[in-house]
Amino acid sequence: MLQATDIHFCIQNRPIVNKASIKLLPGELTVILGPNGAGKSSLFKVLSGDIQCRHGNVLYNGKTLSAYKTSQLAQIRAVMPQHSTLSFPFTVQEVVELGLLPLKNDFKQETVREVMEETQTWHLRDCDYSVLSGGEKQRVQLSRVLVQIWEKKPYPRFLLLDEPTSSMDIALQHHVLAIIQKIKSRNIAVLAILHDLNLAANYADQVVLMKNGNVMFQGPARKTMTASKLMEVFDHPISVFEGDSHRPTVIHTVPFSQIDQQIKHA
Amino acid sequence: MLVKSGIYRKSKTQAATLLALGALLFLVLLLSLSVGAFPIPVYQVLSVIMSNIGIELGDFTTQQRSVLVNIRLPRVILAMLVGGGLGLSGAALQGLFRNPLVEPGLIGVSSGGALFAVVYIVFGASIPLLQGLSGIGLPLFAFMGGLLNTFLVYRLASSSGKTDISLLILAGVALNALSGALIGLAIFYADDAAMRNFTFWSLGDVGGANWQKVYTAFLLIIGPAVLVFTQFRQLNALALGESEAFHMGVNVQKVKYILLISSAMMVGTAVSLTGTIGFVGLIVPHLIRLGFGADHRLVLPASFLLGAILLSVADVLARTLVVPAELPIGIITAIIGAPFFIWLIINFKKLRN
Repeated sequence: MLQATDIHFCIQNRPIVNKASIKLLPGELTVILGPNGAGKSSLFKVLSGDIQCRHGNVLYNGKTLSAYKTSQLAQIRAVMPQHSTLSFPFTVQEVVELGLLPLKNDFKQETVREVMEETQTWHLRDCDYSVLSGGEKQRVQLSRVLVQIWEKKPYPRFLLLDEPTSSMDIALQHHVLAIIQKIKSRNIAVLAILHDLNLAANYADQVVLMKNGNVMFQGPARKTMTASKLMEVFDHPISVFEGDSHRPTVIHTVPFSQIDQQIKHA
Repeated sequence: MLVKSGIYRKSKTQAATLLALGALLFLVLLLSLSVGAFPIPVYQVLSVIMSNIGIELGDFTTQQRSVLVNIRLPRVILAMLVGGGLGLSGAALQGLFRNPLVEPGLIGVSSGGALFAVVYIVFGASIPLLQGLSGIGLPLFAFMGGLLNTFLVYRLASSSGKTDISLLILAGVALNALSGALIGLAIFYADDAAMRNFTFWSLGDVGGANWQKVYTAFLLIIGPAVLVFTQFRQLNALALGESEAFHMGVNVQKVKYILLISSAMMVGTAVSLTGTIGFVGLIVPHLIRLGFGADHRLVLPASFLLGAILLSVADVLARTLVVPAELPIGIITAIIGAPFFIWLIINFKKLRN
């Protein structure tokens, strides 16, 4: 389990994350949602160990971040940042194989192919990474972090994803979230920052809604992603049509040109 | 199974590449030993080498033997060690700064080494404490100067783990200018003996090689080189970025120190023994990446080998182009390297657009 309590993070005395507490359970996908500048990425970086906060602490399986060696931490959590630029002409397969680094020699050679077939990047394996499209690069980076935690282990592990689907088309977005659902069953807790409310509503187990550095609401996706809560967080008219086993949940965001009409209708 | 054979095939290709470069280095060694103001046929070169390890083939004169053992062999080996060190430190610094335009001379490492070397030459004799250092004093000082400038340039050009290439080049310009000015100042205060020492040193070619210098180079270049070779995985991870490397379990700070100190030691030693030789560290890793890809498992050792090859070829050119005189080797590498650098800039610009 990953437990963060009272996370407080300031830049030049301006609070970016304010008293946030969050809990990630293995087998669950937790999605952080919120408008730009809400502090999502900062909270994400505190959780991944990229930045240290003055107040609050982050526990991985009961031990604080600082109690882990960098190499030990890499064996229980993998992180996919928003953008990764590569400075040299590596091939796609070489980039994915970088994910094997923290495993020392304890991995199966087939893992790389298995993961790359899952993310539909195996056919790109000999391409130069730098010539790929944005969506392809994201799939390659996703493969890299998946390789890091692919094989089953008896202890809980963590996968942190910062907008993993932002450059992908609709089919691929669903494909990636299906992969995430599959991997979370391997005793892995997944945290993702997403912008697409519909994706979040249909795949997330837990949702954290952030605004101005504060966690406004958190809890099970259905209870948290209600129209009133979403409107309060995003400052925009939103309606939620709850789905069932046959239909997905649909979240409408209203165009500005129709906001006046909606108010009249109401 | 396919992946397995893929990885296996790759490491086999890498081994074959290194073997080929090693063989080429050996051929260049024979060639460099053979040509010069006093040519010695390759067969006799081999005979002399064999007789030194106890196999007598005869068929050479004592004059040939003495030229080879006392003059040419130390010179060629020194050129190879220095070239290898420069090529490898170029590869290591490019990997560390995550930028293919980095070169030890360009970012001020070499000039820092040169400054401290000059300070040692000019003032070393008058400081009794330094007397005990004897042969190792000059490279040690050059190493410290190189390290100081590497550290400064890194601090100037990086913020929160990212290195800005324009800041890096500007910092290099500033440090090169400052080191150059301070070198001038030191020379201004030099006495005649120090001046003569300085002139010999600043000619900066491998012509003044002797076995003493070869031993120093061997110790202070091969040592850090081996240390750098072990960091190939970390350098591969760093290519993605410092925080990505951290996520994959790399102790980024430690790797940085290892690479900065090792590079400064190799460049400092090279500068102290042979003067400032530019562009080897820029060209060599590029050629390797162009030809064989970016995996540092190959790039690091291959850069060492190709650096050794290139500098010995440059040395052959230096001593044959204007016989009976000799060109300083730095001029040859700059004449080849500067246009290459211009070509790189043009490519870099295209890539960015």
